[in-house]
Amino acid sequence: MVRKFSPLLILLILLGAVVWAVSMGTLPRADFVFNNGAEIKTMDPSQATGSPEGRVINALFEGLLRSIPAGEPDALGRIPMKPVARGMADRFTVSADGTVYSFHIREDARWTNGDPVTATDFAWSWMRFLHPETASEYNYQLFYVRGAEKFNAVQLAVGDKVEVELADRKTLELFPRGTIRRGILRELILPLPAENTADTDNEETDAAVVAAISGKAIFVVEFQNESGNTPVTETIAYAVSADGSLAGIDELKQTYTGDFQLSDIQPCKHVLYDFNEVGIRVLSPQDLEVTLNNATAFFPELVSFYPLHPVHRGCVEQYGARRFTKAEHIVTNGPFRLKERRIRDRIRLMKNEQYWNAAKVELESIDVMSIQSETTSLNMYLTDQLDWDTTPPNAMLHILKKRDDFVSTPFLASYFYRVNTSKPPLNHPLVRRALNLAIDKRSIVDNVVKGGQTPAYSFVPPGMNGYQGYQGSGSNVKLARQLLAEAGYPNGKGLPQIEILYNTADSHRDIAEVIQQDWKINLGINVVLRNLEWGSYLDALQTGDYMVARSGWIGDYPDPNTFLDMFVTGGPNNQTNWGNVKYDYNIKMAKSEADPAARMQLFVEAETILMEAQVIMPIYFYVSKNMVQPHIQGFHANLQDIHPLHLIKIRRAGSAVNDSISEDTN
Amino acid sequence: MQLVVFLLKRLGWMLITVWVVFTLSFFLMRAIPGGPLNGERVLSESVRAQLEQRYNLDDPLFVQYATHLWNTICFDFGPSYKLQDFTVNEVLAQGFPVSAALGIFGMTFALLLGMTAGVVSAVHRTSIYDFSFMLLATLGIAIPSFVLASMAIVLFVFYFQLFPAAGWGELRQIVLPAMCLGAPFAGYIARLTRTGMLEILSNDYIRTAYAKGLSTRTVILRHALRGSILPVVSYLGPACAGILTGSLVLEKIFAIPGMGSHFIEAALQRDFTLGMGALLTYTILLYVMNTLVDLSYSIIDPRVVLE
Amino acid sequence: MNQTPTTPTDEQPGKASKRMELERLMEVMSAAQIQQGVSLWSDGWKRLKRNRVSMASLWTLVVIVVLAIITPALPLQSPIFQDVKQRELLRPTLFAPANPKGFTWTEKALRDFLSKEKIAEFPENWVVKLRAFRSKVVEAQYAGDESLLIAATPSERAALWYQWFGEIEIAPPEIKSFRLGIADYNEDLTLKRQELIEMSTSDSQRAALQAEIESLEARHPINALWNDPGFISRSMIEFRIFIFGDYCIPSICGTDKLGRDILSRVCWGSRVSLACGLIATLVSLLIGVSYGAISGYFGGRIDNIMMRIIDVAYSIPFIFIVIFIMSFLSAPKVRDTLNEYGINQITVFFLMIGAIYWLTMARVVRGQVLSLKNEQFVDAAKTIGTSQWGIIFKHLVPNVMGIVIVYLTLTIPAVIRFEAFLSFLGMGVQAPDISWGMLVNEGIQVITPIRIYWWMIVFSGFALALTLFSLNFLGDGVRDALDPKLKNR
Repeated sequence: MVRKFSPLLILLILLGAVVWAVSMGTLPRADFVFNNGAEIKTMDPSQATGSPEGRVINALFEGLLRSIPAGEPDALGRIPMKPVARGMADRFTVSADGTVYSFHIREDARWTNGDPVTATDFAWSWMRFLHPETASEYNYQLFYVRGAEKFNAVQLAVGDKVEVELADRKTLELFPRGTIRRGILRELILPLPAENTADTDNEETDAAVVAAISGKAIFVVEFQNESGNTPVTETIAYAVSADGSLAGIDELKQTYTGDFQLSDIQPCKHVLYDFNEVGIRVLSPQDLEVTLNNATAFFPELVSFYPLHPVHRGCVEQYGARRFTKAEHIVTNGPFRLKERRIRDRIRLMKNEQYWNAAKVELESIDVMSIQSETTSLNMYLTDQLDWDTTPPNAMLHILKKRDDFVSTPFLASYFYRVNTSKPPLNHPLVRRALNLAIDKRSIVDNVVKGGQTPAYSFVPPGMNGYQGYQGSGSNVKLARQLLAEAGYPNGKGLPQIEILYNTADSHRDIAEVIQQDWKINLGINVVLRNLEWGSYLDALQTGDYMVARSGWIGDYPDPNTFLDMFVTGGPNNQTNWGNVKYDYNIKMAKSEADPAARMQLFVEAETILMEAQVIMPIYFYVSKNMVQPHIQGFHANLQDIHPLHLIKIRRAGSAVNDSISEDTN
Repeated sequence: MQLVVFLLKRLGWMLITVWVVFTLSFFLMRAIPGGPLNGERVLSESVRAQLEQRYNLDDPLFVQYATHLWNTICFDFGPSYKLQDFTVNEVLAQGFPVSAALGIFGMTFALLLGMTAGVVSAVHRTSIYDFSFMLLATLGIAIPSFVLASMAIVLFVFYFQLFPAAGWGELRQIVLPAMCLGAPFAGYIARLTRTGMLEILSNDYIRTAYAKGLSTRTVILRHALRGSILPVVSYLGPACAGILTGSLVLEKIFAIPGMGSHFIEAALQRDFTLGMGALLTYTILLYVMNTLVDLSYSIIDPRVVLE
Repeated sequence: MNQTPTTPTDEQPGKASKRMELERLMEVMSAAQIQQGVSLWSDGWKRLKRNRVSMASLWTLVVIVVLAIITPALPLQSPIFQDVKQRELLRPTLFAPANPKGFTWTEKALRDFLSKEKIAEFPENWVVKLRAFRSKVVEAQYAGDESLLIAATPSERAALWYQWFGEIEIAPPEIKSFRLGIADYNEDLTLKRQELIEMSTSDSQRAALQAEIESLEARHPINALWNDPGFISRSMIEFRIFIFGDYCIPSICGTDKLGRDILSRVCWGSRVSLACGLIATLVSLLIGVSYGAISGYFGGRIDNIMMRIIDVAYSIPFIFIVIFIMSFLSAPKVRDTLNEYGINQITVFFLMIGAIYWLTMARVVRGQVLSLKNEQFVDAAKTIGTSQWGIIFKHLVPNVMGIVIVYLTLTIPAVIRFEAFLSFLGMGVQAPDISWGMLVNEGIQVITPIRIYWWMIVFSGFALALTLFSLNFLGDGVRDALDPKLKNR
């Protein structure tokens, strides 16, 4: 019986499968589709570092201020981006000495779940951002705030106000935290420094920092309990411990010869500088007051920068850091909300009706595609599947440059190779300099990237007010060979194989292949290439798992500081295991230097140190290259290549919209 | 009853196979130190300790193996090492329907085209149809699918502008990848059908059918086809395996976010949990397909005995 | 032959019987000649020769393999030398660089003349001319104009020089011939080596000299242009330089994105792809045949276990496992450990591929051995006292060679296709090694509606397809030829 009907059955099954397959495949096109270049690493503002992530986070979230085109066009006809009070804050004031910023949060600011956005949201998000366990890579951007660095780096001294997180977390996640008790640090008991301490300069404090958060120190904290009428003082000793065991401090307990009683040491999760002492104060639900260490001219730019965007506390605490970014969980406050996310395909954003300025946002839906192949994205752009292509391939640039829809302008960004100065043979500065001198940058710019970029012989791109920068020299193979010989590798003999790491993209590979050949032919060195996807590449940089790595850095604000403060000793964006005392000193002094000329001079000296140590090998200064369909409006070329998505409008030929209304883009 | 015994035996062997694959991959994975924490920045010790606790990395190896095995049995493949916001289950859940859709389309196309071509070739033997179809079939077999795909793109996307260049989301975007995927198998199936048909058509009962006065179409569809399906059905097993591996390159060319592209990216980026999850999924999938093919073989041909 | 019988009348009776014996012998022999004994091989070969398509495939393959082997000796351009400035993405052209080092005359001319030292030597008006000329060349490159890129012979150079500058007041620069350049380089090296032996003064000087020699060897132009060839390839390249000198076959297949000649890349890539096919198949053959023979001969329990293992192995999707293992092998720590043992990635890669395809071979050989082990020649061997291993490997295995060869011809194209597949995905051979899969990958990446660089995919795709085609047809033909049912037809 089965046999008789089996052909029919099979046919039916096949038909059913086809119908199911068809239904799986359909997803209609969004209003605005663009290629973001790579699958973004994360949507959590505190964990993101790249510009692909930035574009998405700027669409989903909104900070206190927002950078939008404002002001007069410059010499190249570009309207500069300025951070203005068109974000969560509707006005802000700066004190006379420039150290106190008061933000007023607008009344109609809402999260997507209806909750109002308050100053507490910002305070909590910035606390999370600065918390050492979040380990945010950009946390140094908030170090301009008084006490922020002390909080993040756990720089405690006796007499400081501290907050203790008890070991009663309900889940394994950081938030919601365990019970917080605030007290005063009475004694900090540290183990004696070992023979080989860390080779930083301020050894004592750094030892305190390291020991304090590694479970090897004992903190004696005094609390004031306001129970009833009489205040009761309680002194408890704590040790930081992950799993509740106190094994790490046994030795310390035995060798302690001080006053305090160490009989009953409690385990705890963290002992940190009290966040209430940090210069972020909530005056009222609508008022946030931020106190800085010194007057910082670019603080408004920082505030509009995406790592500082707020996250919804309830959402993070309910779902945990890894899962709150799911489309069904996430709560956001920006012009768009997350509809769905398909891995390595697209992120679909829909207009957020709760957004305070939703009336002015024209796009209903956006597709953020993550197409890795530059050629494929160009093909999709040319066949009208994409409205904006952020990654046109270098091989086609000389043809694309002539088209009207090619938008290109000098860009505050530097393409360079980072050198891991702790991996031999790169720990020798002469080797690094030799490698740098053997690269023919002019040839790369003219023949590989061909987009009108400028070859770079220094780190900071030109175009910022009053900054001359370091004057580097071009390629010099003879000198390179000489330096290599001086370093002990005459003619490249004995030099171990060097590996160049780059993130998967055709242009990076082309440049790496050219440099591979330059080094092979000019210096006789064997070079091997390795490429990783964006997320893994970022990880490899962080963990130091590379020798020479392609890097790019886009200035976060138009000031040399955004480039140069990357390379302070141990800075999270340093990643080269290099440090220099004078460099750190210059950068630190520049933060509080009032006289602009003197400040620039400090930067020039610092850049000179950086370049002479050849911690990085600059290749070229970027030119932004975007391909934008003619029916897209609201796309302005600017020095920072920021293109807020909520300003984009679609004007197809024949649409009869009154453009005078649309000019009020803000 | 015999069916049940057969299925149980197959299930048993499947579990053994999956276990072998799992153990092999697990020890390879652990031979490389690191894990999800490799992705975290240089951490202070206490933070690292807390995260290790969260991910169970501080247990001895045997305990980890047992836990991981139990999790796998419960279909929980763990967090992805490189895609920070997702677990392996979520990635596979997104990728599997896409690959399945592509595979089903490809297989359908291969079967339809292949069998039609084979039947026509067999019936009109040594005619121009036969010659051209067999030539096309050999072309389809010999030219690798990625070469074919690039030529198809040049032809159908740029010159004739019939299909979109890449991506996934509309019906039109499935057609070109499915055709390129199914082409080599269409070639094989055409050849197999042709051989099978030729053998059957030389049988006596076919001669009887013609003698009775039945039209060619009736003879073929009602009498000849069933016998000639057999070699095709027995080929379906390897064909499924081939479609799954073929989809790896095609998903890359056409930027389709299927399980294949996730697997390749996992291999290239050393995202071992995702790689292992995909590997186990493929193993189970292929095993199930092979079992189904064996079953259908026995349904179609009464002479075959399940064992 | 039929001998006319002598008349019986003049014979004696004893001789008559002998004659009849002789006649009978003649008859038997002439009958036997019609039924000549043939071996499997000669029979198969005869049948194969009659199959025209298979013979054509065989000849094609022979040509491809021979070309692959003698590639280093052919006057091709360098397969890895990049010239992004002038030769990028040229369509198939008759343009040939002046020598394998890739220098075209304009580039050398410009570099010489525009280097800072030289400019100081020239009169003022020449400097202006030279600068103007340089921008003209850059423009022409962007416009795809190749007219500035030719000029190999001295008279051509003079003519071009005159065309650019309108005078030959300053002589057109010479390029040292590549052959001479290599000879000079080698001479330099030999001198230094002699110096080391003879004039060794202090230890540090010796060490410095030693270091210099080693780096000169590393930077030898042959290493730079042909990716550190092995000993045999190197000798062939030196032979090529000796015979052909500076001549290079023009870029009749065009150049790729970085200016590398595609014809030479296809030829050098064929070496890797074909080597992979052969080695991996050999590995699978070794493993498969031994496994199947042992399993089939011993039978019983051992056979059962071994077959069960194969059954399980059959259901494992080996292709995916290989991909997973390749990912594991590319981790830096593993790569370093392997390098310490002298195993490089390509070798492991070949072995891995070979490990996939032995299963079918094992099953087939086992089947054959099972049927053969009851034959009489096995008994005979046992009687002589041959050991079990001797029987397996000296008697049984040669007899299954027929069917093994058939499966070989099916496996080799599968292996080549798989290697291309892996290289396409980026998991196969790494730059600067070349393989066909990698070339096809590069070709696909430059297909855009604006400009289709068809030569980047057509030639490598055609080479790959042709090889696979021929192997397939040859395999079909060999299968038919060795089919025992068709014996003597």
